[in-house]
Amino acid sequence: MLTFRELEFKMAKSSTSDAQALFRSLRSAYAATPTNLKIIDLYVVYAITTAVIQVVYMGIVGSFPFNSFLAGVLSCVGTAVLAVCLRIQVNKENKEFKDLPPERAFADFVLCNLVLHLVVINFLG
Amino acid sequence: MAKPFPTLAIPLFLLSVVSLLSLRCGAFSADRPTDRRLLVLVDDLAIRSSHSLYFSTLQSRGYDLDFKLADDPSLALSRYGQYLYDGLLLFSPSVQRFGGSLDLAGILDFVDAGHDLILAADSSASDLIREIATECGVDFDEAISFQDPAALVIDHTSYAVSETEGDHTLIASDIFIESTTILGDEKIEAPVLFRGIGHSLNAANSLVLKVLSASPAAYSANPATKLSSPPSLTGSAISLVSIVQARNNARVLITGSLDMFSNRFLKSGVQKAGSSIKNEKSGNQQFLTEISKWVFHERGHLKAINVRHHKVGETNEPSIYRINDDLEYSVEIYEWSGSSWKPYVVDDVQVQFYMMSPYVLKTLSTDKKGLYSTSFKVPDVYGVFQFKVEYERLGYTSLSLSKQIPVRPFRHNEYERFITTAFPYYGASFSTMAAFFIFTVVYLYNK
Repeated sequence: MLTFRELEFKMAKSSTSDAQALFRSLRSAYAATPTNLKIIDLYVVYAITTAVIQVVYMGIVGSFPFNSFLAGVLSCVGTAVLAVCLRIQVNKENKEFKDLPPERAFADFVLCNLVLHLVVINFLG
Repeated sequence: MAKPFPTLAIPLFLLSVVSLLSLRCGAFSADRPTDRRLLVLVDDLAIRSSHSLYFSTLQSRGYDLDFKLADDPSLALSRYGQYLYDGLLLFSPSVQRFGGSLDLAGILDFVDAGHDLILAADSSASDLIREIATECGVDFDEAISFQDPAALVIDHTSYAVSETEGDHTLIASDIFIESTTILGDEKIEAPVLFRGIGHSLNAANSLVLKVLSASPAAYSANPATKLSSPPSLTGSAISLVSIVQARNNARVLITGSLDMFSNRFLKSGVQKAGSSIKNEKSGNQQFLTEISKWVFHERGHLKAINVRHHKVGETNEPSIYRINDDLEYSVEIYEWSGSSWKPYVVDDVQVQFYMMSPYVLKTLSTDKKGLYSTSFKVPDVYGVFQFKVEYERLGYTSLSLSKQIPVRPFRHNEYERFITTAFPYYGASFSTMAAFFIFTVVYLYNK
């Protein structure tokens, strides 16, 4: 029979090992995704990081040219949102967009981004 | 085709004749502020000889004196709307009514038009003379006219020692106002002889000044009768000679002793009671000469011309300024020396940039040749401002200059183009665009 202490140690060990096992399984599952989706994910991560950096900067310096702040943050967040939409539409495992040609999805993505960046340039001041 | 020559020639000819005539008269004008023609009103033409020394000092300085009796029926100060004289000397204390068209209102209008006045009263001063003085801000002893018409200023400690007069109404005073503009550069060594009535000034009036005051022991009473009640006018409140400089820079001298101007007083020696100094000549001549110079604008008269303002680096005067502009303001101030304009050199002239209250107050710096200038930044407030120079100094004419100028805010394209604190946002937006472009290339061409 295990003591209470030994039981605790075993459970702790098993929870950390559970977390590690979960993380390992996630990594191996992710490795199986197609390359184009991985490229989209990388792009999204970059855009969100840039947005977070800008918010931190605003927190330090203050929101003086607020329009510039909004333009910067919205350009990053907007393009990330559009990239996520592209990923949803292009993913072959997604049954909902089975009939949508991926070229059409990519063209939509490019056009929306053009409009977004045009607006951003105007609002940047 | 040009206009026909003869029709233009006649009015031009008339104009030149008229202007030449006025130049020949040597009239008082803004360019030469010293008075030229003085009207002297007297009760008795004997004053002309008994006070001849004083009048000759005036005439030797170039004044034209016109002696007339105060009730002369042909008296007139102005004709056809133009004043005939530049200054008035009222040496007629007992006149009840002026002759001709002159009256109290006429004399006050004369002063209001910027002309100068010397008023000398004595114990026989009439109500008219007292009223003129009251309108100018000086009150002769009221009690005199009601109770005791013969009241004089008596001083038992500052009287002039003499063999004959023993009632101490001839006083020797040396309490002068401290001002070289009014009394000249040289100190008046000898006391001034005075016999007559005293007056008081209202303390709230900032335009009147005591030039010669009585000592603290003086009082105003009838020397022949016993005092039944304490005199109402006593001590240093009694002013013997006062001046008024009006807001239009007209100068008025008021005194209660016509004898002060007489040859007897000017030539006599004086010894003040209680002092061992015996002066050969009283200070009357020097005192009266210097103060007449001041009253008739030979001294202490300033003019300010050429008010200019412009942006730093430009020469033309703009009609509107923008906030945060740098501008320069300059003005030229000259002082009349009796014969010509000399540069006025001081270091306390200030200019205000004023809108309801001064936003900028700067002391002007001088180049010693009469040009005063300074430069400052327009404040961050927009509206209609004024450049104000308000200069008032003892004995000098007051300068009150004001020039209006609007100030506008930035136009929408006058703000700075790129704000430095926003550079990270600019960078982030452009880097996102670049990343988008690279992403499309990589996404399309990866295999």
